[in-house]
Amino acid sequence: MSLSDLILSLADNKQMLGLRYAEWATRAPSLEADIAAAAMGLDDLGHSRVLYGCLEPLGADPRGLDRESDAASLHALTYFDEPWSEWAQFVAANAILDTAFTAMIEACVGGSVEVLQHRLRKMLMEERYHFLHGRSWLKSGISQEPLNRAWVEAIEWFGPPDGDVATLHREGKLSMGPDELHSRLEEQLATRSPSMTIDWKSWDPIRRRSRPGAIDERTFSMLRGLEEKKFAPSSAAAKEN
Amino acid sequence: MTRYKRVSGDAIEYEVFARKTRGEPLHQVGSVVAPDDDLAVAYARATYDEERWCEMAIVRKEHVIELWQPGET
Repeated sequence: MSLSDLILSLADNKQMLGLRYAEWATRAPSLEADIAAAAMGLDDLGHSRVLYGCLEPLGADPRGLDRESDAASLHALTYFDEPWSEWAQFVAANAILDTAFTAMIEACVGGSVEVLQHRLRKMLMEERYHFLHGRSWLKSGISQEPLNRAWVEAIEWFGPPDGDVATLHREGKLSMGPDELHSRLEEQLATRSPSMTIDWKSWDPIRRRSRPGAIDERTFSMLRGLEEKKFAPSSAAAKEN
Repeated sequence: MTRYKRVSGDAIEYEVFARKTRGEPLHQVGSVVAPDDDLAVAYARATYDEERWCEMAIVRKEHVIELWQPGET
């Protein structure tokens, strides 16, 4: 897979992370946490726009027409397929997945590709606050299930030891490969990942995940603007038609 | 700074200070409540970042040493 495929996956995941964060903007445990959820959602949606904008300068935009009709054409992780029903899912995504994406951004900024070096640097400053938020909530103690799931999906997302990320690292385009990214994530969170066995044979290198499935229909409609049309006045809808 | 406490248990109240230019002094822009410094930093940034501050800082309210209060002079 190319660097463009990796950046598209990062963009799709940031977009979904931002949307899922935003869904908690009125459901978090405190007013401050509500505001933080909204702010982090805005940040990550903004990051996804920047990342999509990097695809053209990278020379190959892997986005096909199927993204308008097939939710499974988006390259986001299983973790984002459904809205989160528990705060623990929010915290696990915030602490582990958001930090994993930041580690990849660090690898891009530290790599040799100029457009990524320049455009992604500011994200690291904003992500510092996401990290502090996630780490602090993690300390408060949450259930293990979403944490384990987030860890597995993060390591899967980094890719196999001999996969595309390893190749991009060897070529100097990324400053870290899968092993270094894994270590960086553990170092940041000051903990070891749970023991896991990943069956790379069932791993989809485009979507960077092992399980089939896709984001829920309502979210997919919202991404395409279809949910918005439901609220449009009928006369306006008639004019459009 | 307000005198009432809006926190209970392990939560800590922090005062948030900011300034827009190097030439002006830091002034209080609000407060946040959080269980620790990390979360207070994240909350302060999320809550008060809508303006273009060149500097922002937080202080635990309990660390502010008051010389006198309104009506005490």
